[in-house]
Amino acid sequence: MGKKMNISIIKSILCFFLVFALSGCLGAREINDLEIVIGMGVDKDENAGNILLTAQVVKENAVGGASGNGGGGDDEAYWNVSSKGESIFDAVRQMTHKTGNRLFISHNQAVIFGNDVAKEGLQEYIDFFLRAHEMRPAALILVAEDRASDVLDAKPETEKFPAMNIAKLVKTYGFTSHLYKVNMKDFALWLMSDTTAPLAPLLTIIQNGENKEIYVSGMAAFKNGKMVGKLNHDESRGLLWVLGEVRSGVIIVPSPNETGKAVLEILKAKSKVTPEIKDGKIVMHIKIKEESSLSEQSTTENLADDKAFEKIQKSSAEVIRQEIMAAFDKSREFNADIFGFGEMLHKKYSNEWKTLKDNWDEIYPTIELNIDVESKIIKTDLLKKPAAPKEGEK
Amino acid sequence: MSIEKGKISCQQLLFLFAGFIEGSALLIDFTVGITEHQTWMVILAGLIISTPVILSYAVLAKKFPGMNLVQINDMVYGRFLGKIISIYYIFFFSMTLSFNIRDVGELYITFLMQDTPFIFFLIVFTVTCAYAVIKGIEVLTRISHLILVIGLFAVISTFILLIDQMDFSNFLPFFELPFIKIFQGIHIVSMIPFGETVVFLMIMGCLNKSEHAVKNTFFGLLIGAASLLIVAVRNTAVLGKTQTIWTSASFQAIRLINIGTVLTRMDFLIGIALTILMFFKCSIFLYVMVVAVSQLFGLKTYEPLVLPLAAIEVIIAATVFQSPVDHAMITQNAGIIYSAPLVFVIPPLSLLIAKIRGLPKLERGKET
Amino acid sequence: MIFLLLIYAYIFIINVPGLIKRKEWKELAAFSFLFVIAFALGIMYVLDIPIPSPMKGLQHFFVDILGIEYPK
Repeated sequence: MGKKMNISIIKSILCFFLVFALSGCLGAREINDLEIVIGMGVDKDENAGNILLTAQVVKENAVGGASGNGGGGDDEAYWNVSSKGESIFDAVRQMTHKTGNRLFISHNQAVIFGNDVAKEGLQEYIDFFLRAHEMRPAALILVAEDRASDVLDAKPETEKFPAMNIAKLVKTYGFTSHLYKVNMKDFALWLMSDTTAPLAPLLTIIQNGENKEIYVSGMAAFKNGKMVGKLNHDESRGLLWVLGEVRSGVIIVPSPNETGKAVLEILKAKSKVTPEIKDGKIVMHIKIKEESSLSEQSTTENLADDKAFEKIQKSSAEVIRQEIMAAFDKSREFNADIFGFGEMLHKKYSNEWKTLKDNWDEIYPTIELNIDVESKIIKTDLLKKPAAPKEGEK
Repeated sequence: MSIEKGKISCQQLLFLFAGFIEGSALLIDFTVGITEHQTWMVILAGLIISTPVILSYAVLAKKFPGMNLVQINDMVYGRFLGKIISIYYIFFFSMTLSFNIRDVGELYITFLMQDTPFIFFLIVFTVTCAYAVIKGIEVLTRISHLILVIGLFAVISTFILLIDQMDFSNFLPFFELPFIKIFQGIHIVSMIPFGETVVFLMIMGCLNKSEHAVKNTFFGLLIGAASLLIVAVRNTAVLGKTQTIWTSASFQAIRLINIGTVLTRMDFLIGIALTILMFFKCSIFLYVMVVAVSQLFGLKTYEPLVLPLAAIEVIIAATVFQSPVDHAMITQNAGIIYSAPLVFVIPPLSLLIAKIRGLPKLERGKET
Repeated sequence: MIFLLLIYAYIFIINVPGLIKRKEWKELAAFSFLFVIAFALGIMYVLDIPIPSPMKGLQHFFVDILGIEYPK
């Protein structure tokens, strides 16, 4: 009996010690030991073969008493550290020469690639961001028109950190649908495809007096990991129409009597793309259904009647059509399948695909688009008629 | 004549089965590298092929009530051959157990806690399993209800949270991969989640009433297979082609959950759920192995052997493979080949021989 | 190393006195057999002596000798 008591006492003591030992693991890092990174930028360095990695690190004092600061000093809440290395992981570790602690990239919102790196090819550099276990596949990927380190420097007015600002800019793409949110997983998915061209939003810096402002100027298209072309706002939206990713935005059409403009707010848009191989030619049937509301008009015409609506709807459908064609023509210029038509064909015609995909570069420019747009205005917001004297119409 | 004093009911068999298969939810990553977007098909095919085999286990257990696998082997194949076959089974149990323990360790050092030494996880995990085993099968069965609930909750909730990121066109084109790959996938799936249930032949001896054994086995199998299917569908829909490049597709899919900036970084929770499920599975394996060895030596209780066997398992788990790469490659080839006879051939064969020879000869002239 | 010895000592202490008291000789024999194997493996592991892996052997057997393998 005494033996049993002894053994259970020993067991309880062991458990007690185990609780202490197991509640922290060897990999535990206290917050003071972390350099919390919220944005990263990759540029090419002067020495060929090296890259310049910029990491935007949060400063602890900012996390604490932010609100009390009240416009006081120039003390920014972040620090852009940079380091050079032969590869991304190398540069990340070299960062400790400056920061002391290792970078903690779990909160990284966005990875921005500089223009030169993008032109040279992202395939070399993207592996780290997918493989590192701290990176989240939901982190955004973007391209800067010039240097990524400059983009990370531009201090925004309403956000504390440039990186968060950039992430916000991209995540709210739905308001204009002039760009598209691309995260690491999407980019990797596109890279893995034989034919699809990956895309990433393009960031530009505008010098506005003293301040530098970040501006998303469109999308960058890649082929085999190298940036080959850019799409501007309208072309990007053309792309989004086809992908069915347009959330909201503005379409401006001339009013029926050509006296001004009618401005429509896109409420909903759906797209259906059906590939078809007809007599050896590839035809993509694109059907777009869109609903919008009349949000502004600059004329005194009364647009709230069927005939006017019809005309406006037709013009808006035409605008959409043109945006899509513009996107397609631009993509043909640099021969990149940004729409993913290749993969759509693959899914439907898997047998023919085996031969098609090898010649995709020659085939893509010959694709015919059959675009059918249906645009409807379903409401006119709060005004029935414009604020103008009544005309003797109708 | 049984070593185990405890008894389990038939309904608990269902929970045991389903919970056990859920523990393998992570192991479908073994096939994903090979079968890509056709994994769901492979799981269904594996289910169809394995069902008759697994039901034969239940029928076999019904025929030999109260006896576990080693005893059955002795009866059906005679003392000498039966023991050889039992040793083959014990080898299988011990190897598979070490793979599973190693899997848990690899999960931790790849995703969750990189710096802690590998052996530490193995030891702690195995010790916990050993403790559960010493307590006996009844304890494990009582936990199985909870385990199943945890498993189903994890699977269904992650599926629902990822619905907005799913793209169902990732499942097309349907029949793209060459048949040999599909065949290998089916082989893997019928061996790893489903075939491992051969361990239940050691446990079904404890049923106190074996009338509904077959029905419960079948439903347990269905529930387990349904969860695996949901996981496969979720991963394919969310990740598309990228699921073949990640070390663990399930983990990466779960990392993408991002709802309202509150429900992010869920991978830790899933790590916890998976650890619990794997604990259940490994405890059952360890139990089965210990009982088999004890039965082989003709011992009265299995308790004293638990710790030494657990220690052996830890060392084997630590040394059997060099890295996850090795692990995946060997399991996809030799691993499933050597164990195929144990799962597919021997139990149905035993059943056949028993029927022919009119076993068990408990009472003259009386069959089941 | 010390950790290893502690663990094995613990296993020994937990099991052996009970077995001896209850005169379960067969169990003691089986236990000792497995204990010696476990201990040997443990020592080998701590001293970094390579332990042959059965699975590597099986893989070698199937692929090199029998030539059965799934194509990559």
